Amino acid sequence: MIAIEYFLGLSAILFAIGAMGVLVKKNAIVVLMCIELMLNAANINFVAFSAYYGNLTGQVFALVSIAIAAAEVAVGLAIIMNLYKTRDTIGLDEVSLLRW
Amino acid sequence: MAIDYSALYPVMVMVVFAAALPAIHAVAKSSRVLAGVSLVGIFVTMALELMYIVSGEYPAAIGGASVELLRLDVFAALFALVFLAVAFYVVLASARYVEKDRHQAEYFSLILLATAGMMVVAMAVDLITLFAGLEVASISSFALTAFRKKDKRGAEAGAKYYVIGGLSSAIALYGISLLYGITGTTNIAGINTVLAGMGSELDIALLLAIGLLIAGFGFKVALVPFHMWAPDVYEGAPDPIAGLLAAGSKKMGMVLLFKVFLVGLIAIKADWQLLAGVLAVLTMTVGNVIAVQQTNIKRMLAYSSVGQAGYMIIALAVATPYAVEGSIFHIITHAFMKGGAFMIVAALAYVALGENIANYKGLAKRAPFLAISMTLLLFALAGIPPLSGFVSKFVLFSAAIDASQIADQNWMFWLAIAAILNSALSLYYYVRVIKYMYVDEGSTKDRIKVPWSMTAAVAICVIATIVIGVWPDPVIDVCEQAARALFAG
Repeated sequence: MIAIEYFLGLSAILFAIGAMGVLVKKNAIVVLMCIELMLNAANINFVAFSAYYGNLTGQVFALVSIAIAAAEVAVGLAIIMNLYKTRDTIGLDEVSLLRW
Repeated sequence: MAIDYSALYPVMVMVVFAAALPAIHAVAKSSRVLAGVSLVGIFVTMALELMYIVSGEYPAAIGGASVELLRLDVFAALFALVFLAVAFYVVLASARYVEKDRHQAEYFSLILLATAGMMVVAMAVDLITLFAGLEVASISSFALTAFRKKDKRGAEAGAKYYVIGGLSSAIALYGISLLYGITGTTNIAGINTVLAGMGSELDIALLLAIGLLIAGFGFKVALVPFHMWAPDVYEGAPDPIAGLLAAGSKKMGMVLLFKVFLVGLIAIKADWQLLAGVLAVLTMTVGNVIAVQQTNIKRMLAYSSVGQAGYMIIALAVATPYAVEGSIFHIITHAFMKGGAFMIVAALAYVALGENIANYKGLAKRAPFLAISMTLLLFALAGIPPLSGFVSKFVLFSAAIDASQIADQNWMFWLAIAAILNSALSLYYYVRVIKYMYVDEGSTKDRIKVPWSMTAAVAICVIATIVIGVWPDPVIDVCEQAARALFAG
C-alpha cells in the first residue's frame, strides 16, 4: 500500500498550482480550470483519508463534491459565454466597468 | 429502513414551488402571477417554520443515530425564517422590476432555490450537507447576478462573482478535507469531540485547516481582506438581487462560520479567537472608511454591509452564547435594515432615477414615503434608538464587554470600543444621504410614482425595523434559544 504522505503531497501540489493559476492567469476559462484543480486536490485528500481511516465518509464527500463541481462548471461556462457575447472578451483584466 | 424526512418538508415546499414556476410560466406570461405563486410558496414555508418555533416541537433529525446529517432545531428554524423573510420582500419588489425581462420564471425559481439552499445550510450538522447547501445557494446566486444577459455590468458582475465564489468554495473544501483528515469524521459535533480529546498541542495541519476555512468562508461573508468582490457584484447585480445577496447570502456565510467554528472547532477556540477579533476590527474599519468615499449608493451600501459583517464577527471572537445571541439578533435586524435600503434603491431604479447619491437630491419632496423610509433604515443601520439596529448593537457590544471581565480576555473590551467608534463614523455617510434628500434642492420637483408592490416591500422592512426596535423582547428570547441550541451542538 502506498503511504498516505504521497497522496497528501500530490494534492498539496495540485492545490498550489491551482491557487497560483487563479492568481496569475487572466483568461476566465483557464481560471475556471485552475479552480477545478483546487477542487480535485480536495477530492484526492478525501479519498486518501477515507482509505487511511477505513471509513466511507470521505468517498461519499468526494462523490458529492464532484457532482456539485459539475453543476458549478455548467453555470460558470454559461456566465463566461455570456460575458464573451456582451463584452467580446473573457480576459478578466479587461472587464473593469465596475471599479471604485 | 424507512427514513423520516419530515425535517426536510419546508425545503421540499420551496423546491416544489421552484420547479412549478416554469410550468406556470407556460400558461400565464406575467411576472405578477409568477411572483404571486412564489410568495404563496414562501408564505407556506414560513408558516411551517413558525409553527415549529411556536410549538417548540421539532421533527427527528435526518440520518442514523451515529451519522446525523440535517437537524431542524430552533437555530435552523429561526435562520430559515430570516432567509424566507428576505426572499419574501425580494420577490415582492421583483414582481414589477423584472416585468420587461425574459426568463422571468427562472428568475423567481432561482430565488426560491437559493433560499432553499440557505435553509439547508442552517439545518446542516454534517460538513457534507453544509457544503451541499452552500453550493446550491451559491450557484443559484451566480445565475441570478448575471440574470440580465444584455447588461454589460451584470455580465461582468456575474463573472466576477462566479470566479470568487468558485475559488472560495475550493479553498473551503480543501480546509474541510484537512479537517476530515485530522479527525476522521465530517460530523461537526464529532470533529469537536475528537479535537477535545487530542489535547492542546498545536498541529500545523490544523492551523492550515483553520486558515483555509476562514479564508473560504470569509469570502462568502466579505470579511476584509476577502471583500473586494462585494461592491462590484452588488453594483452590477439587479437591485433586488443585490438585496438578496447582502441580506441573505451574507447571513448564510455567518451561519457557516458559526457552525464550523463555534460547534466544530470550539474545543480549540484559543487558537482562532484572537484572529477572529483582528478580522472583526479590520473588517468594520475598512468597510466604514471606504464607504465614506463612495458616490454610488449601491457601493456605499455594499461597503457599509462589509462594516456590519465586522460587527457580527465579534461573536466569533468572543465565542460566548450571549455574544452569539447578539450576533443572531443583529443578523435579523440587519436583514431588514440593509434589505429595505436596497429595495428603496430598486424602486428608484425602476423609475429610472440614477444610482448616484447626488441623484437623491430633493427626494423628500418627490417621494416622501421612500425618503422617510430611507432615513429610518439608515438611522437604524447607524444604531440610533429606538430603532432595531440600536438594540441589536447594544446586545452584541455589551456581550463583548461582558466577556472582557474574564482574565486574559481584556482585549475583547477593545472590540466593543472599535465597534462603537465605527458606528459613529458610519453615521457620517448615512447622514450625507439624508442631507441630500431633505436639505438639498433637486433639479426637479416632479412626484415619483412607485408600484405598490415595491412600496409594500419597503414598508415590510421599515415596520419590522421599528417594531423590533420598540419591542425587542420576543425576538431576543428566540435568539437566546437559538444561541443555546447552537452551543448544545
